[in-house]
Amino acid sequence: MRTNSATAIALLVSLSTSAARAEEVTAWRLFISDHADPKVTVIDAIDGEKLDTFEIKGPASLHRSESGRTVFAVQGTAGVVTGIASGISFEDHGEHGDIDVEAPKLAGIEITGKKPSHFVEHNGDFAAFFDGEGVARIIDEKSVLEGKPDFREVKTDAPQHGVAVAYGSHVLLSEPNREKPDELPVGIRVADKTGAPIGGIHACPDLHGEASSGDILAFACATGLLVVSHGDGSPAVRHLPYADSLPEGKTTTLIGGRGLQYFLGNYGVDKVVLIDPTIESDAFRLISLPTRRVHFAVDPVRAKFAYVFTEDGQLHQLDVVKGEIANSLKLTDPYSMDGHWSDPRPRVAVAGDRIVVTDPLQGVLHLVDATSFEKTGDIAVEGKPFNVVSVGGSGQTHEGE
Amino acid sequence: MSRTLKLAAVIGAITSLPMAPSVAAAENLKVVASFSIIADFAKNVGGDRVDIVTLVGPNGDAHVYEPKPADAATVGSADVVLVNGLQFEGFLQRLVEASATKAPIVELSKGGEVLRNSEEEGHHDQEKAAEGGGGHAAAEEGHEEGHHHHGEYDPHAWQSVHNAELYVKNIADAFCAADAAGCDTYRANAESYGQQLDALEAEIKAAVAEIPEDKRTIITSHDAFGYFEHEYGIKFLAPEGVSTESEASASDVAALIKQIRQDKASAIFVENVTNPRLIEQIASETGLKVGGELYSDALSDKDGSAATYLEMMRHNITTIKGAILGS
Ligand SMILES: [Zn+2]
Repeated sequence: MRTNSATAIALLVSLSTSAARAEEVTAWRLFISDHADPKVTVIDAIDGEKLDTFEIKGPASLHRSESGRTVFAVQGTAGVVTGIASGISFEDHGEHGDIDVEAPKLAGIEITGKKPSHFVEHNGDFAAFFDGEGVARIIDEKSVLEGKPDFREVKTDAPQHGVAVAYGSHVLLSEPNREKPDELPVGIRVADKTGAPIGGIHACPDLHGEASSGDILAFACATGLLVVSHGDGSPAVRHLPYADSLPEGKTTTLIGGRGLQYFLGNYGVDKVVLIDPTIESDAFRLISLPTRRVHFAVDPVRAKFAYVFTEDGQLHQLDVVKGEIANSLKLTDPYSMDGHWSDPRPRVAVAGDRIVVTDPLQGVLHLVDATSFEKTGDIAVEGKPFNVVSVGGSGQTHEGE
Repeated sequence: MSRTLKLAAVIGAITSLPMAPSVAAAENLKVVASFSIIADFAKNVGGDRVDIVTLVGPNGDAHVYEPKPADAATVGSADVVLVNGLQFEGFLQRLVEASATKAPIVELSKGGEVLRNSEEEGHHDQEKAAEGGGGHAAAEEGHEEGHHHHGEYDPHAWQSVHNAELYVKNIADAFCAADAAGCDTYRANAESYGQQLDALEAEIKAAVAEIPEDKRTIITSHDAFGYFEHEYGIKFLAPEGVSTESEASASDVAALIKQIRQDKASAIFVENVTNPRLIEQIASETGLKVGGELYSDALSDKDGSAATYLEMMRHNITTIKGAILGS
């Protein structure tokens, strides 16, 4: 790790002589899990070369951290969450950012327990919820990267398909359905760091799905959203009901806008909803899709766009400012939504100027240029490439460090 | 980022918002102001020839504002977008890119007398910190990885009335460029408002002159008054830097409390855009009584005591003077 003074000297040199000593580097990596095999493949998203394959314990869904320094493989059937160091990190120097690129590697951290499911980051704290125990295990990114198993644990009353969010010095915990333990949680409780509840339950029937955008965190309920923001001393929780004008339906998967503050959720099988939680009326904009929806993602670089993949094999570019589909592109054979929810179907990620769509049945990744919205190529991946996340960006590297 | 801008240009401007209430209103210049103080200047210059939408409203904090898709639509249909610049609006670039606007983005602080950010770490000189512009010098070793930097300059340039005059001139220029037919009106409005600014500045100087020199050190929550300090000779110390984005660390606060005791600060104030908690804590630890609320980065709502820039500056100096000389 370089010191401040070394960085300062390097910067002065680069400013006073020329840009020759400070090189602009762009690096993007794709982490891909397999639908059947316990492995995570890492691919250089710029040249398409395979960098490594990590053996894990079960098929995984993947999460990348906000910083991009870590990726987590949540292996529900194997009862473990595996931490991976992405190898790419950034340091902000105001006028420019430095990028540091190393080989990806297993971080040496495993979070074990019964049936891990929802995995949520808030400000560098990761909370893995274990459905089979009703317990969340929380760890920060620094500990993961140092390979230190520095967990804290908060317990809810009963096993549940639940969620926990480490929210500064508080924890938000889902409240199980006591009468029907197999059904979704019924609300959110604010707890202190140890898990001791503060105040009552914020009702959120059929709670499933949560996301952050800017300084707002939201949970999806059958009745609307629970919107969490910084209150005076403890988190402020408010219920934003679905508008009466919306058809029957609810959101169960929520993602948060990057660059612009909004949420994008599913709604019914063939719609998505754009949500501005800061306004009271017209908070929900419903967008109909040509067929049933398979997966959706926001563009972290072009804040104006999100992407939705539908079962007819099309990728749609969604203009979140206008609230409409701007472009559509046929990429794969049809992937019917009939069958089990976890059958192999495409997933979408954005890596810089490329949109990446997995095609598990063909064993390829489709690459789409995010600027022209045209297909530019394929990358073959052994097995059934399924979940995909990307990390990377551009920054400077300084010679002699 | 240039690639993204190109993309925005290809996609073209967003169609204008629905509902033009009347023909007269439709002909008005559509102006977007990034925050309330700029909107007030624009109102004074534009009069009834302009319709103004403010992104960060009264008592809002532009440092940490998160733009919404609706803001991008507003900017997309604007004729002129007025901003402070100097990285005050951290959200500006992504908002402008998302909006695909063709309107000029006018940085009102351009050409003004601009102060360096005293907090700037590492590679810029520390002359301002050394003369007490910030309470941070002693706490440098607490620098964390990933700490956010806030640009080279202090963005709160409107806290000097001289600069406010320049903002007004820049607004008149921007309005003239967008609406030549109204130019005479804009110039005349700017002229008469400029006279009110001159009178305001004289009042502030007279008020400061009544405060004994050894009582002119005060505490606020964030470093928003560097220009006021520079122009009018009141020394401000703050636990937080020029942006409200990152909270003060415990060592920053400890250093500030030490400095307060050394410098014999006369009064401590909360700000309308920041949480009062930290200031209340410092007040109780130093025995200073909170002398009221200052308006730094946003006006009050229209019923408050700082609904316009002129009221805001008068309120601030009256509150400062009252707290120091008061009882
Ligand atoms: Zn400020």
